[in-house]
Amino acid sequence: MSTPAATPNSVLAAFAPSAARRRRDRAARTVIAGFTLLALVPLVLIVYYLLEKGLGSWSGSFFTTDPTGASFFKSVSIGGIRSAILGTIELVAIASAIAIPIGVGVAIWLVEYGRKSLFANVTRFFVDVLTGVPSIVFGLFIYITLVITGLLGRGLAGYKGSLALALLMLPVVIRSSEVILALVPNSLRESALALGAPRWKVIFRIVLPTALPGMVTGVLLAIARAAGETAPLLFTVGGAEKTTFSPGAQMNALPLQIYNDILSPTTSVINRAWGAALTLVVMILLLNLLARLISRRSRLA
Amino acid sequence: MTSDGSTPQTADMPSDELLEPQPAPVRLQTPGPGAAGARTPRPAPPATKRAHSVRLEELRAFYGSAEQVKGVDLDFHANEVTAIIGPSGCGKSTLLRCINRMHEEIPGAHAEGRVLLDDANIYDSSIDIVAVRRAIGMIFQKPNPFPTMSIFDNVAAGLRLSGTGRGDLHGKVESALRGAGIWDEVKDRLGQAGIGLSGGQQQRLCIARSLAVNPEVLLMDEPCSALDPIATLKIEELIDDLKQRVTIVIVTHNMQQAARVADRTAFMLSGDLVEVGPTQQIFTNPADHRTEEYVTGKFG
Amino acid sequence: MSLASSASPRGAGRPHFQEELAGLEHSTLDGIDLVLEQIDRTVEALRHQDVELSSLVIGDDDRIDGRYLEVHQGILSLLARQAPVAGDLRLVAALLHTIKHIERIGDQCVNICKLLPLCGNEPPTVPDVLELVLRMGTLARSEVAQSKLAFANRDATLAEDLVRQDREINTLQRDIFRRAIEIGEDPDIREWAMTMTLVARCFERIGDNAVDIGEQTAFVVTGLFREFSDSRTDGAA
Repeated sequence: MSTPAATPNSVLAAFAPSAARRRRDRAARTVIAGFTLLALVPLVLIVYYLLEKGLGSWSGSFFTTDPTGASFFKSVSIGGIRSAILGTIELVAIASAIAIPIGVGVAIWLVEYGRKSLFANVTRFFVDVLTGVPSIVFGLFIYITLVITGLLGRGLAGYKGSLALALLMLPVVIRSSEVILALVPNSLRESALALGAPRWKVIFRIVLPTALPGMVTGVLLAIARAAGETAPLLFTVGGAEKTTFSPGAQMNALPLQIYNDILSPTTSVINRAWGAALTLVVMILLLNLLARLISRRSRLA
Repeated sequence: MTSDGSTPQTADMPSDELLEPQPAPVRLQTPGPGAAGARTPRPAPPATKRAHSVRLEELRAFYGSAEQVKGVDLDFHANEVTAIIGPSGCGKSTLLRCINRMHEEIPGAHAEGRVLLDDANIYDSSIDIVAVRRAIGMIFQKPNPFPTMSIFDNVAAGLRLSGTGRGDLHGKVESALRGAGIWDEVKDRLGQAGIGLSGGQQQRLCIARSLAVNPEVLLMDEPCSALDPIATLKIEELIDDLKQRVTIVIVTHNMQQAARVADRTAFMLSGDLVEVGPTQQIFTNPADHRTEEYVTGKFG
Repeated sequence: MSLASSASPRGAGRPHFQEELAGLEHSTLDGIDLVLEQIDRTVEALRHQDVELSSLVIGDDDRIDGRYLEVHQGILSLLARQAPVAGDLRLVAALLHTIKHIERIGDQCVNICKLLPLCGNEPPTVPDVLELVLRMGTLARSEVAQSKLAFANRDATLAEDLVRQDREINTLQRDIFRRAIEIGEDPDIREWAMTMTLVARCFERIGDNAVDIGEQTAFVVTGLFREFSDSRTDGAA
C-alpha cells in the first residue's frame, strides 16, 4: 500500500481506505440498519393497531361510565371503563404507598449503613433475584398466603392485589434508589459530617435532597411497570364492574378489563378492550415522560 | 457551646458540653480582606484572643490492621498555622482526619491515643462527636458546597445541621461570609445556587460554612490543590487572617505553600513524625537529614 | 547538624537543578583559581619589581569581575526559578558571598600592582622588609588555597584553621609597619617603605577575605553564621 511520497496527494492516497474495505463498511452498515428496521416494525405495528382499533372506542362516556355485564343485548350499552381506570389508579397508589417507603428505606440502609457488609451483600443478592421473578409468582404468593388462607379476610380484594404489586415494585425501587444514592458524592456526606451533623441528618437533609430527582425517576418507572401488570392481579383482585373505592372489596383494573373483554365474542366489547389498552399505554407513556422530564433536571444523572 | 445559650434541637446533644467553662462569647469582629484585588485596611482584631491548642499524644491510626499513623506526638499552638508536609502515603491526611474524628467514619478504621483540645481528650467516651466536629472544622481538597442549597443556605447549613443556636441567622451568615472574605462578592446573590460560583469562591464558601458554627480549630486538607494560582493566593491570604480567630492545621503537598502560610511545619514520613519546628528553620536548616532530603526535592 | 548530608552525593530528585547548582559552585571555586593565579603573579611582580607583570595583573582583573557577574546572575536565575531551600539555599547564599570575596581579593591584587610603578623603575629595596612582604604574599596565597579546599570538601575544621594562618599574616603586617618606621632617613627608602606598608595592608585584606570564605563554609555546614574568633582585632595596624 505504501507509495513513495512524491507529491502530497500520493501521501494522502496512501492513507485512503481501499475499495474492498469501503464495500465491507457499507455492507456492515446496511445489515445493522436492516436489524434496526426489523426491530422497529413490530413497535410501529403495535402503535398503529392500538390507535386504529382503540381510538374508535374513546368517547366521553367511555371514561365516565362503568362497564356493564351486558354483552349480548344490543340494546343495552356495554359501558365504558371508568371502574377499570379508577381501579388501576387506586391499586397502584396503594401499592406505591407500601413499596416506596420500604424500598427507599432499604436502599438508604444499603448505601449508608450496610455498605459492603456481608448482610448487605446478601440483601442485594436477594433483591436482584426478586427483580427477575415473573410477576405471576407474586400473584400466586399472595393468593396462597392471603386468599386461600383467608388470613386477613376471605376472598379476593383490592388490597391483596396491591400487595402483590408492591412486591413487584419493591426490588425495582430498591435497586434504582440504591444506584442513585450511591451516586451522591461521598464528599458531600463528609462535609456534612465534618460540620457536626449526626448521620441521620446527613441522610435526610443532604443526601436525599441531592438524590431526589433521580429517585423520583426510578419510582415513576416502577409505578409505570406496576400499572401495566396483569398476572399479579389475576388471582388476587378478582375484577368487578362497578366502581368501588374500598380496598377490601374486589376491584377492577385496566389489565383485567382488557383480559376479560378480549375473549368476548361481541365486537363492541373487543373494541372496548382495545380502547382500554390504548388508555393504559397512554397512561404509562405519560408516566415515562414525566420521569424523563424530572431526570433531566437532576444534578446527578 | 452556643453563644446565645439556646437549647439544642436534637436528641443526640448531651447536656454536658465539650468545653467546660466557655469563655464569654466574643462578638465576632467582621474584618474580612477586601474582595477580589486590593486588600482594604482591616479594623483591629478582637481584644480577647481565643486560645485553643490541640495536642496529639501517641496517636495511632489504623485501616483494619494496617497502621497508617504510628504513634505521633505533636502540638498545634493556639492561633498559629501548622503545616504538615510529607510524601504521598505518609499518613498526613489520615492524621488530620483523626483530629476531628472523621477517620473512624471509614468502615474498618479506628484510632488510638489521645487528642486533646485544650485539656479535653476528644476520644474520651463521654465526649459527643457532634460537638467535637462543631469545634474542629474541616475544609476538604475539592470544594463541595451542597448542590441543592443556595449560598445563604450553604452557610446556614452548618448551623442547622449541627443544631447550634440559630438566633440571628442572617447576621451569623453575613459574619461568616465576611470572615471568609467573600461577602462583597456574593452579598447580592445570596439566594443563588452555591455551585454557581467559581472554584476559588466555592472553597471560600465552604470556609464560610465552617466558620459559621464558630469553631476553635480549622483543619484544611490540601485546600488549594484544585484551585488556580490566583484563587490559591487568596485562600492563603485568608488563612493568614483567620489564624487570629482559629488555630489552623493545613496538610499540603505544596512545600512552597507551607513555607508561605505556616508558622510551624511538621514533616511526616511513612506514618512517623520526623521533625517539627518553626517553618523558617525547617526550610533553611532542618535538623533531620530526611527532612533535608525531602524539602530539597531529593525524593518524594 | 547536617554535616553528612551537605557532602552527600546529590540524590535522585531534580537532576537539572542539582546540575545547575553544582555548576554555580564550580564556577565560584574556579574563580578562586583565577585569583590564586593573580596572587602568584603579584608576588612575582613584587619580587622582581616587574612593572609589565603588574599591568598584566591589572588587565586580567576583568576576567574576575566577569566571573562575579556570571555567578551573580546565575544565582538570581536559580533563586527565581528553582526556589532552593534548606542546604541548597544555604549553599546559594554562601556562593553569593564567596564570589564577592573572590572579587575583592582580585581587587586587592590590582591595588598592589598599581602601587608598584609608583616605586619607580629601580627603587631602593630593603631586603628584609621585602622578604617579609613576600612572606605575607605567600601566606595569603596559601590561605586562599586552603579556603577553596575547605569549601569544596565542606570541611568546617579546615575553615576554622584559616584563623591561625591569618594571625600570622597580621603579625607580619605589624612587623613590616614597625620596620618601616625605623627605616632611616633616606627619603626614597622611606617612600618605598611606606608603599610596602600599603602593600602589606592589601595582603592582610586578602587574608581577611579568605577567612570570610571560611566562615561561609562553616555556615553551609552548620547552618549557623558565626564570625571566627576575630583575628583582626589583635593589635590592629
